[in-house]
Amino acid sequence: MKYLGVVAACLAAAFLAACQTTAHQQMPEFNRVSGSPRILLVPVDVELSEVTAGGLNEPKADWTEAARQNIGPVLRAEHDARGNLLIDYVEAEGDPNHAAYEQILKLHSVVGKSAIIHQYVPGLQLPAKGGKFDWSLGPSVEILRQKYDADYALFVYIRDSYASAGRAAVMVVAALFRVGLQGGVQTGFASLVDLRTGDIVWFNRLARPGGDLRTPEAAQETIKTLLVGPPK
Amino acid sequence: MNRRTFVRGFCSCATAALAGCVADNNRPITGGSPELAPGYRPASSTDEGGLWAQMERAEADLKRSRFLVQDPATRAYVNDIACRLSKDFCPDLRVYVVNTPYFNAMMAPNGMMQIWTGLLLRVQNEAQLAAVIGHEMGHYLRRHSLQRWRDARNKTDFAAFFAFAGVPGMIAQFGVLASIFSFSREQEREADAVGLDLMAKAGYRPLEAVSVWEQLIAEQKAAGVNRSRSVFFASHPEPEERVESLRAQAVQRTDPMIGDGIQYDRFRYELRTIRTMLLADELKLRQFDQSEVVFDLLLKAHPESAEIFFYKGEIYRQRNADGDRTKAYAAYERSIVLPGTPPETYRSLGLIQMRDKDYSKAEVSFRRYLELHPHAPDRVMILSYIQRQS
Repeated sequence: MKYLGVVAACLAAAFLAACQTTAHQQMPEFNRVSGSPRILLVPVDVELSEVTAGGLNEPKADWTEAARQNIGPVLRAEHDARGNLLIDYVEAEGDPNHAAYEQILKLHSVVGKSAIIHQYVPGLQLPAKGGKFDWSLGPSVEILRQKYDADYALFVYIRDSYASAGRAAVMVVAALFRVGLQGGVQTGFASLVDLRTGDIVWFNRLARPGGDLRTPEAAQETIKTLLVGPPK
Repeated sequence: MNRRTFVRGFCSCATAALAGCVADNNRPITGGSPELAPGYRPASSTDEGGLWAQMERAEADLKRSRFLVQDPATRAYVNDIACRLSKDFCPDLRVYVVNTPYFNAMMAPNGMMQIWTGLLLRVQNEAQLAAVIGHEMGHYLRRHSLQRWRDARNKTDFAAFFAFAGVPGMIAQFGVLASIFSFSREQEREADAVGLDLMAKAGYRPLEAVSVWEQLIAEQKAAGVNRSRSVFFASHPEPEERVESLRAQAVQRTDPMIGDGIQYDRFRYELRTIRTMLLADELKLRQFDQSEVVFDLLLKAHPESAEIFFYKGEIYRQRNADGDRTKAYAAYERSIVLPGTPPETYRSLGLIQMRDKDYSKAEVSFRRYLELHPHAPDRVMILSYIQRQS
């Protein structure tokens, strides 16, 4: 929980510092697949919340559910248009490798968040990376490739917040005192993992004040923004 | 304190209550009826629905956690106690045992409860475990997380408008933080009351809840624990104060006609698979003074446990302060005459004998260890010790 707080703060910091919507990173060299790549879609980790007047994030279950419903078809359509084949990850409790699959997903959430912090936040870059984008889950991801016959796995993580009426009022008052206050922000990342090597071959960060996921049209805009410049 | 002074203490308390002049921290809080109906689920458009959904995701993560104790007997046992206490609410609550060697338990608004293994090592019987589970259910039944969220939201909303008014505004914000804090202590007291009610209704002696705290205080005192640095004590009322208010409330709910629900044998039996792990994890914390109190309390209940004597010996051997070597010998020697001593007792004995340059005895101990544990992972190392002795 505490860790998530740090991530949220860093995402916000990354946003404030750079003030750019997206900035994708790509491994300089990676194995490309000939023909249509098969991509395993890991369940999207999304949460929508409302910023209260006092600046707390109140999780919204109905918005989150709507976002989940909206994101799925949009992701699929995006990939169809690119000629990729999306395969859904299914929870397979009976599978002897079930626990191992789940550990890989958890590992990605840790690596992905580290990548956000150390790749995008000024001053927190790791010197040993030498500015290169170089993150990997390691070859243990191979079991996912075998299970789904997939070349890559796609992970999407989004935290989206919206200013409540009360927050908007506080922002107006703050503006009178010449203080700029944050309303809602859309933060997150998408990450493409090569299931042979475990390397994150493409990664994009989302950090902006606008964006919406509560309607299919708005979700489409967000996903297009997130998936800009995927590997060719 | 004997039973009589206990009862007398209660009588004077009860009189005071009737007269309407109760000290604040003894103010009786009734458990009363829950705020929720069995099978309750908030609408997803509400703030409560948002909190539940967030906790459901956390629960999905917890289910995948390697820290989750998987032992079926342990899991079934804690959930069974939860059902005895919660009755109609049984399907709404899920208890998870989490492998963390500290005393704590947690309740999420959606009915996910966590019990840490350090707590399982410290409660002495089923009624004490029920006291903790009942307390946590109190948080659920009274929707404390939701209250706390709304309280925090209202107070920060209010503070947000003050925040631009310079220094006086900052002081107002500090005030807000302090009251968010005290609100949760008030909830702890309420959860205590609900827990005691549930215990009494399920046939557990409510006074066992008091013992849980008394034990914890004894442990903290022995170790000179700095409470101001403890996360646990920051969010819970001062234990001494709590013991007194709990005792007053427990006595009110005690019915001498009903059994105590201690179920000592069942408690021992159901947790048998994880007991060694609990002891070993406690030792690994290297908080030797505290662990000594914990192990002594366990030994009071099972004076014939070879395993606990072994772990007690380990405390002294590893702490290695003045006089500890003698205490370690005593504990190991007690352990090896009892049935079921772990083979490691001989290894530890050999190690301190070697340290004391008593090489012939050390050799005998090491050989015995390897005899009892032929596939010991440290076999080669132990063999090298034996060679060195001879």
